[in-house]
Amino acid sequence: MIKITDLEKFYRTEEVETIALNKLSIHVNTGEFVAIMGPSGCGKSTLLNILGMLDDPDGGSYVFNGIEVAHFNERKRADLRKHNIGFVFQSFNLIDELTVFENVELPLIYTGVPSSERVKRVEEVLDKMQIMHRRNHYPQQLSGGQQQRVAIARAVVNKPKLILADEPTGNLDSSNGNDVMELLTDLNEQGTTIIMVTHSEHDARYSHRIIRLLDGTTVMENIMI
Amino acid sequence: MIKNYIKTAFRNLLKNKGFTAINILGLALGLATCLLIVFYVFDELSFDRFNTKADRIYRVNENVKFGGNEGIYAECPAPTAAALKSDFPEIEQVTRFRQRGGNQVKKGNLNIQEDNMVYADPTLFDVFTLPMIDGSPKTALSTTHSVVITEKMALKYFNTTKAAGKVLTFNDTSLYKVTGVIKNIPKQSHFNFDFILSMPSLSESKEDAWFSSNFDTYILFRPGVDAKKFEAKLPEFLRKHAEPQLQSILHMTFAKLEQTGDYFRLSLTPLLKIHLESPTKYDMGNKGDIKIVYIFSAIAIFILLIACVNFMNLSTARSANRAKEVGVRKVLGSSRKYLIAQFLTESVMVTLVSAIIAVAIARGFLGLFNQVSAKELAVTPQIIGWLLPVMIVFVIVVGCLAGSYPALFLSGFQPIEVLKGKLAAGFKGGVFRSSLVVFQFAISIFLIIGTIVIYNQLKYIQNKNVGYDRDHVFIVNQVWTLGNKAKTFKQEIKQLAGVKSATMTGFLPTSGYNNNSSLFKDPVLDSKRAIQSSIWNVDEDYIPTLGIKMKAGRNFSSDMKTDSSAIIINEAAAQLLGFTSPANQLLYLPMDSKAKVMKPFHIIGIIKDFNFKSLRENVTPLVLFDSEDTGALSVRINSTNIPALLEQVKAKWKAVSPNLQISYSFMDEDFDNNYRTEQRIGQIAISFTTLAIIIACLGLFGLAAYAAEQRTKEIGIRKVLGASITGIVRMLSKDFLMLVLIAILIAAPLAWWAMTKWFLQGFAYHQPFQWWVVILAGISAVLIAFVTISFQSIKAALANPVKSLRSE
Repeated sequence: MIKITDLEKFYRTEEVETIALNKLSIHVNTGEFVAIMGPSGCGKSTLLNILGMLDDPDGGSYVFNGIEVAHFNERKRADLRKHNIGFVFQSFNLIDELTVFENVELPLIYTGVPSSERVKRVEEVLDKMQIMHRRNHYPQQLSGGQQQRVAIARAVVNKPKLILADEPTGNLDSSNGNDVMELLTDLNEQGTTIIMVTHSEHDARYSHRIIRLLDGTTVMENIMI
Repeated sequence: MIKNYIKTAFRNLLKNKGFTAINILGLALGLATCLLIVFYVFDELSFDRFNTKADRIYRVNENVKFGGNEGIYAECPAPTAAALKSDFPEIEQVTRFRQRGGNQVKKGNLNIQEDNMVYADPTLFDVFTLPMIDGSPKTALSTTHSVVITEKMALKYFNTTKAAGKVLTFNDTSLYKVTGVIKNIPKQSHFNFDFILSMPSLSESKEDAWFSSNFDTYILFRPGVDAKKFEAKLPEFLRKHAEPQLQSILHMTFAKLEQTGDYFRLSLTPLLKIHLESPTKYDMGNKGDIKIVYIFSAIAIFILLIACVNFMNLSTARSANRAKEVGVRKVLGSSRKYLIAQFLTESVMVTLVSAIIAVAIARGFLGLFNQVSAKELAVTPQIIGWLLPVMIVFVIVVGCLAGSYPALFLSGFQPIEVLKGKLAAGFKGGVFRSSLVVFQFAISIFLIIGTIVIYNQLKYIQNKNVGYDRDHVFIVNQVWTLGNKAKTFKQEIKQLAGVKSATMTGFLPTSGYNNNSSLFKDPVLDSKRAIQSSIWNVDEDYIPTLGIKMKAGRNFSSDMKTDSSAIIINEAAAQLLGFTSPANQLLYLPMDSKAKVMKPFHIIGIIKDFNFKSLRENVTPLVLFDSEDTGALSVRINSTNIPALLEQVKAKWKAVSPNLQISYSFMDEDFDNNYRTEQRIGQIAISFTTLAIIIACLGLFGLAAYAAEQRTKEIGIRKVLGASITGIVRMLSKDFLMLVLIAILIAAPLAWWAMTKWFLQGFAYHQPFQWWVVILAGISAVLIAFVTISFQSIKAALANPVKSLRSE
């Protein structure tokens, strides 16, 4: 499903150039659950952003579902993204001014799903995440665990093929964290490919495979069985 | 400590160059405009204040209603002044002016046209403060053929201000002795003359005619006299002096006259109100208008408000970015007091810089402003005297107000929350900020509508069919100076190739004389059977030369001997008289003010109405007499080579009048000159409107940037979820455009009301308020706002969401 080859990314400020990704090559198959680990600054988030087509690489190739997307323009990337990829962030990134329902509905609006269909699908997913009773609450009225469940609901409402999770349990206590990991595992078992960045060895054990990065390149791959 | 504040403030301002520039520039522009208007308004309000006795001087007006005409005139009967002085001990002194046209004044072999001439009583210097630098004010105007001139004229004609005793020649013939030289009359005077001729030179000034009003009469009260109480004594005064003449002319008493609905009264206008609030017609000099002073003052306040609001809005908005600094400072031990002081220092600093720039801008644009407003404003020590303290207070007040919100709000934060970046929610303050934007745009839209209406009206006047053709006509003025050669001159001009026709008269619709009188349907002086009408003396070439259309009957003709007793009336007169055709109709004109000789005139034609007065007034009755008047020669040309033709005319003039200079103008230009004030207001309004819009846009620009910044995270999320760039731009712009729409809803009815009531009704001929103006103003406001906002919106929408979502 994902095949990146010799991927490069630099960050430039006025004086220094930082290499974030250094000729990185990774392969992820459909249906896999991959964890990416590594110390701060190793390029995990950069990799995730490029995989999520939020950022473009400075070099190398990125083939998504057989399509070379490394040089796609913003519009094409956005189009591909909204139909195929769901995001889960450490800090949830829910919109404060919108209710739980409206937050989850947003991706459906952007993909042009008709209104009646949207209600059905949002309710379905909220039900699955067990936060239906909170549908009219605003994010700041929810606990961290609940917020992350809303964020996951939002990530999956469009039935994406790939979920990218950036330290999804980072802001949660262990019990809520475990719930979230269970949810992701369920999604994976239903066929969604998941790539997760994490600092937690505990969380990483939910995955099939751990890719360890250091200074922008792969140093080790552990297959978890 | 202070040094640290200023250093941080300075670096902060430098770091956000764009913001700082918008902020400073916006406030400076607003303040500069305000300063210019304040100069203008103060100048208008300072009129006639140079007179040391200004608060005791009043002008006597005449309020008349007779024969269907009603008006208040700045001129009184000749004997009024003397009678007032002798009847009322509370009057310390009286003085009169008699307006007259210009003259040619001889300098060497050259005759120069001078227009600022007037007759005045010897008591002039007792009433008005006109310091004399040569000659004696006591006697200067007491003998015939004496003239007092200004310093400027003394230098012009004699190269010295010690000109008393020298002689001036007017119109190449009459000699006047200079008996005094006065300082130039200040610009801020409602009358401005360079040559003051002695009243005794004018025999009319001694006449005892109470029903002929030609004298601008001023009284100086003794200290402590109540003018209102005095005014109540005037009816009795008038009855005592004028009733005998009223009896002999109209055979009735004042009481009877008032019973018929007509009246003849006197009233007073305080000197200090003459320039701006005089209710009268035929005032000396150019009148100002208190309405304009009010409008400009309001605009000044509005622009300043817009600018201050911007400044505060932007300062507040920007301070959100300072939260982290506040947190760090607090953690390091800064107390709240210090933080407040720091923010206020910064804000006052910016205001101070703006104020300095504003003064520089105002100074720089003063020349241009003077040109547009036809003023001679200057920054004098007096102005600086009051301006400096005002500016200092302004800097402190605005600086503190603008700084107070961030100062009080941010400094109150718990450092740990600020450092965690949790303050965003507290900064929305949406309703207040939104109302400020609505307020700014409502003012801008109001000004746009006002400007369009003014321009429309001016264009309407330009294009209105006034009933005569003012194009291709040039006017040779003061043909009367040719004396009996005037007729020959006319004949010679008529024969020039390229001249279609020429008419000799000073009665012209664009400039020149006017003369009113009562005409009667019967040979009896019965005011019920009278019409008040303008009486114009013209020749048989008048109607064809000006392109006036006949409605019925015929024009004057030199072939008809009887035409010396023939008249032509306009439609308005015909309507008032109830005539539809001129056949066998007579009108009677009293031949002198006292006697009862009524001369009959037969009406030979009716002309279509033409606007012989300003378009501010309706067409009133007009009667044309076939009688010689040598005021001016109007020449209709069909030549394309106007310069060559003018040369020929000048040569002809030179031949008949070698010593007097020709003075000429074009009728269409004279016409435009009558609407100079409106054009000036239009130009000033356009500048103000543009400025108001620029300032409002600067603010909107800053706020849009702020809003985009506030919503960076939201925009990031939406983009990650698939929102398109246009979608984001639309989302960000929508809110602001909504505000502009609300502003239109508020401004449109106000503008409609104000423009209809204040401006359009000043014209008898005007277009009704047109709604497309509102639509046009609305669309332009929306467009301007959209362009302003979209810059920020697009920037925000294009930004990489990764940056805004990075979770730290």
